[in-house]
Amino acid sequence: MRIEHKSWNDPVLVATVAPLALAMVAFFLIPLLMTAVLTFQTTQYYRLVWTWDLKIWTEVFSKPHYWTIMMRTVTMALVCVVLTVLIAFPAAYALATRLKTFKTQIQILIIFAFLTDAVLKTFGWILILDKNGVANWLLMHVGFPPEMLNLLFTPAGTMIGMVYNLVAYPMFTIYLSLVRIDRDLILAAYDAGASRIRTFFEVTLPLSRPGLYSGAVLVFVLSLGAFLEPKVLGGGTSPLASELIRQSFETRVNWPLGAALTVVLIAIGALMLAACAAFALRRTSSTGRPA
Amino acid sequence: MMSQRMRNALVDTMLVGTVVLLLVFFYAPIATLVAFSFTSSRVLTLPIEGFSLQWYGELFDKPDFWPAVRNSAAVATVSTIFATVLGTAGAVAWIRYRFRLQGTFRALTFAPLLFPQLLLGVVMLLWFSVLGSWLGFSTGLATVIVGHVVYITPFALVVVAVQVYGFDETLEDAARDAGASGWEVFREVTFPLLWPGIFSAAIFSFLLSWGNFYVSYSLAGTARTLPIFVYSGIAVGSSPIYPALATVNLVPALLLVIIAEVLRRRALKRQASGISES
Amino acid sequence: MTSPIIDASGIVKDYGAARALHGVSLQIGTGEFVALVGPSGCGKTTLLKILAGFEEPTDGRLEIQGVDMRGVPAASRPTRMVFQKLALFPHKTVAENIGFSLKLQKVEKGQADSRIRAMLDLMHLKPDYLERYPAQLSGGEQQRVALARALVSQPGVLLLDEPMSALDAKLKKSLQAELKKLHRELGTSFVLVTHDLEEAMMLADRICVMRSGHVVQVGTPTDIYYRPANMFVAGFIGETNFLPVTATASSVGMDVVSPLVAAGKTSIAPEHVSPSLSANGTALLVRPETIRFVKGDAAPGEWLLDGQVEEYFIKGASTQYRIRIRGLDAAVIMDLPGSIVLPAVVGEAVRIGFDPAQAFLLSE
Repeated sequence: MRIEHKSWNDPVLVATVAPLALAMVAFFLIPLLMTAVLTFQTTQYYRLVWTWDLKIWTEVFSKPHYWTIMMRTVTMALVCVVLTVLIAFPAAYALATRLKTFKTQIQILIIFAFLTDAVLKTFGWILILDKNGVANWLLMHVGFPPEMLNLLFTPAGTMIGMVYNLVAYPMFTIYLSLVRIDRDLILAAYDAGASRIRTFFEVTLPLSRPGLYSGAVLVFVLSLGAFLEPKVLGGGTSPLASELIRQSFETRVNWPLGAALTVVLIAIGALMLAACAAFALRRTSSTGRPA
Repeated sequence: MMSQRMRNALVDTMLVGTVVLLLVFFYAPIATLVAFSFTSSRVLTLPIEGFSLQWYGELFDKPDFWPAVRNSAAVATVSTIFATVLGTAGAVAWIRYRFRLQGTFRALTFAPLLFPQLLLGVVMLLWFSVLGSWLGFSTGLATVIVGHVVYITPFALVVVAVQVYGFDETLEDAARDAGASGWEVFREVTFPLLWPGIFSAAIFSFLLSWGNFYVSYSLAGTARTLPIFVYSGIAVGSSPIYPALATVNLVPALLLVIIAEVLRRRALKRQASGISES
Repeated sequence: MTSPIIDASGIVKDYGAARALHGVSLQIGTGEFVALVGPSGCGKTTLLKILAGFEEPTDGRLEIQGVDMRGVPAASRPTRMVFQKLALFPHKTVAENIGFSLKLQKVEKGQADSRIRAMLDLMHLKPDYLERYPAQLSGGEQQRVALARALVSQPGVLLLDEPMSALDAKLKKSLQAELKKLHRELGTSFVLVTHDLEEAMMLADRICVMRSGHVVQVGTPTDIYYRPANMFVAGFIGETNFLPVTATASSVGMDVVSPLVAAGKTSIAPEHVSPSLSANGTALLVRPETIRFVKGDAAPGEWLLDGQVEEYFIKGASTQYRIRIRGLDAAVIMDLPGSIVLPAVVGEAVRIGFDPAQAFLLSE
C-alpha cells in the first residue's frame, strides 16, 4: 500500500476531506455539543428557556425511576451481547472455515436479511411470537401443549428482537478477523501436535479477539438505543431508556430532560467503549501481540 | 470414547448446523410475512385458509401508501448519491493519504457507526429544532436526508475502504508510464478498479436508507417514509396489508442484490476462465 | 560508446534523512543493453524509478536524448517501464492493455490495431489472446503482454524492473533468451534491474554493479567476471575463493606471498591486478574451476594447499568440493568436471593446487 503524504495546501486533499468533514461537524459533532448544552436549559409551557442551570441534572439524579430504567437497559444490552456473540461466533467460524461451496450465497442471504426493513421484520416476529402465532402453532403440531410459549409483550420478546436485529454485526467483525488468520498458523499448530479443538483454543480464538471485542462493543452500544423491539415486541411493559427519551420529547415536550437522558446513555456507551479499548490495549502490551 | 474422525465429523455438522439455524432465524419473520401476505383471511394466524391477492389491492389503494413510497424513494436516492460520493472520498483519505488531523478526521467519520440510531436521530432532531426555530424551518424530508447521509456514509466508507486497501498503485504508475495524464489515470485505471467497491457501497447505502426507521422517525416531522408508514400502522393493529407490503418491499432489494451478484460473477469469469487452456 | 541516450551525473536521492543514492553517474548508449545489479537496498530500483520519472532526484542532472529531465513527468519521457509485478490492468483485455498508450496518443483505430497485432506477433502470442483478460494468461504470457505494452509506443529506452524474478527457472531461461533476441532486433536501449548477476552477465552489454547507493563497477560481463574491482563484485557472482596475500609492487607487476603456501613469492602480471587495488585486505581471487587435486608433483609455479574434504556436491556436469584448509576461515570451493569415480570422499586428506599467475589480485 503506497501512502501519499498530503498537506492542507493541496486542493486534492481539501476536496476529498472537507465536504465529509464539514458534514460530520455540522450534523453530528455540533448536534452532540448542542445536546450537551441543552441539558442546562429548562422548558416552561412547552417552550425552551435558556436558563443555564443544573435543574435538569438534579432531576435526573434525584429520580430513581430513571436509573431503574437505565440499569434495565444496560442489563438487557449485556445479555444481548452475550447471546449475539454466542450465536455469531460459531456461525462466523463455520462460514470462514467450512461451507466453501455456498459461502457467497450464504453471505448474500445474511446481508439481504440484514438490509431488510427492520420495522417489517419486527412485525414478522409479532406474527411468530403471538399466543396464536406461528411458533405456538408449529409446537402444537409436533405434540406440545397449545399456547406453550408466551413471549410476546415480555422482556424475552424484546430480547429476541434485539438479538435478531444486532447479531449480524458481530458476525461481520468476527468473520473478518477469522479470515485474516494465516492458514499456516493453524497448520503449524497441527504440525506441533495440537488437536483441532486444542488448536482452536490456542490459536484461532486468541487471534479472533479483535473481531470478538469490536463486535461485542458494537452490539452493546447499539442495543442501548433499542426502541422498536421493547415497543413492538415488549409491548411497552418494561420500557428501556429509548422509550424514556422518546417520552420526554413527545409526551412531555421536555427537550432538556430528553437531552440529559441522551447524554447519560451516550456516556454509558462511551465508558464501555473506553473500558474495552483499555482492556484490549493492556492485553497487547502484556502479551506483546496485537489483541 | 469417540474416534477422532467421528468427533471431527460431529463438529463439522454442528458448525454447518449453526449456519443453517441462523439462516432459519434470519428468514423466519421474513418468510412468515411473505406467507401471510397471500392469506384470504383478515386474521394473521395459522393455518392460512385460502390464497388471495386482495391485501395487495388494499395496500395499493391506501391513500398514504404511494406518498410514502415516493418519499422513501426520493430519500434513498439522494442519500445514496451523497453517502457514496462522500464515502468514496473519505475512504481514499482514510487509506491512501496521510495528513495533519487525520486521526480527528477518522474519529469523526467513524463515530456515527458506533451510535445507536435512535440517539443519532434524537441528537440531530434537537439541533434541527433549535436551528429551525432560529432560521424558521421545520423538519421534513430534507432533514431526513441529512440524517441518512450522516448515518450511512460511514458504512459506505468502510465498504469502499476495503477496495481502496487492496488497490495496487503500480497500475497507476503503469498508466502514467504509458503517457496518461492525472485525469486519464483516474478515468482509465483508478475509477474502474475501485468501481466494484463503490457500486457495492451504493447498493448498501440505498438499502440502508430505504429500510431505515429510527433516523427517519426522529427527523421526518410530518412526512412519512415507508418504515414510518408501517410503524404507525402496526402500532394501531395488525392487518394483512403489512405482510403484503413486506413482500412488495423485498422486490427492489432482491433485484439490486441479483444485479450485484450477476456483475460479480461476470467479473469473476473474466478472471478465472481460460487458465486451464493455457 | 556511441552517443549516450541516457546521461546521469551525480544523482543523489534522499528519503527523509536516509540517502538512497550517493551521487551516481552513469551513461547508457543508444541501443545498449545495461544491467543494474546489486543486493536489495543498493539503490538500483531507485535509480530506475528516477530514470522513469516516478521519483525526482534530490540532486544531480539527468538527460535523456539530450533533454534535461528535471520536472518532466513519466508520461512525457521517451522511456517505458516493465514493472516487477507487471502491473497489467486487470480490467482491460490484452488488446486494451497493449494499446493503452496508443489510445492516449489518440492513434487512429486501424493503425493502432495493426501495431497491436504486430506486437503480438513479435512476442509470439496467439491472436485470439487479444480479447482475453490478463488473469486468463499464464505467467510467461503475462510477461510478454507486459513487454508488448511497453514496446508498442516505440520508446527510446525500455526499463525493466526485475520482471522475471517471479518466474520459475525454466521459463526464466527461455524468456531471457527472447529478451536478448528482442533487444538485438529492435535496437532499443534496455536498462534491466536485477539482483541476479548471472542474468545480467547473460543479457547485458554492460553491467553496473551497485552497493548501498554507490556504483562499485561498470563494465562488460568479461570485466566484471574476470577483472572485478573488489571482493564485493567478485563475490557477487557464484561461489569463489579469496586467498589472503601480502602484495608488494615490483618491476613486472605485483609480488605476492601467502603464509599458507610454502612455494614462496609469485609475480602477478599487471593485467591480473585490480585497478582499484588498495592495501586493505589484499587477496587472490581463485575461481573454483581453476583448482585441481594434486596427487603427484606440483606443476611449475603451482601453489599447493593441504586440507581435508568437508563436503561434496554432485551437480551433474560438475562436482563441487569444499575443502577445509587450516588457517582459512572459509572452506575452499572447487569445481571439478563430473566423473563416475569420485576423486575424494568426505574426511579424506587432500592436496589441492592452482596457478597463482592465472589468479586475480584484488582487495576488499
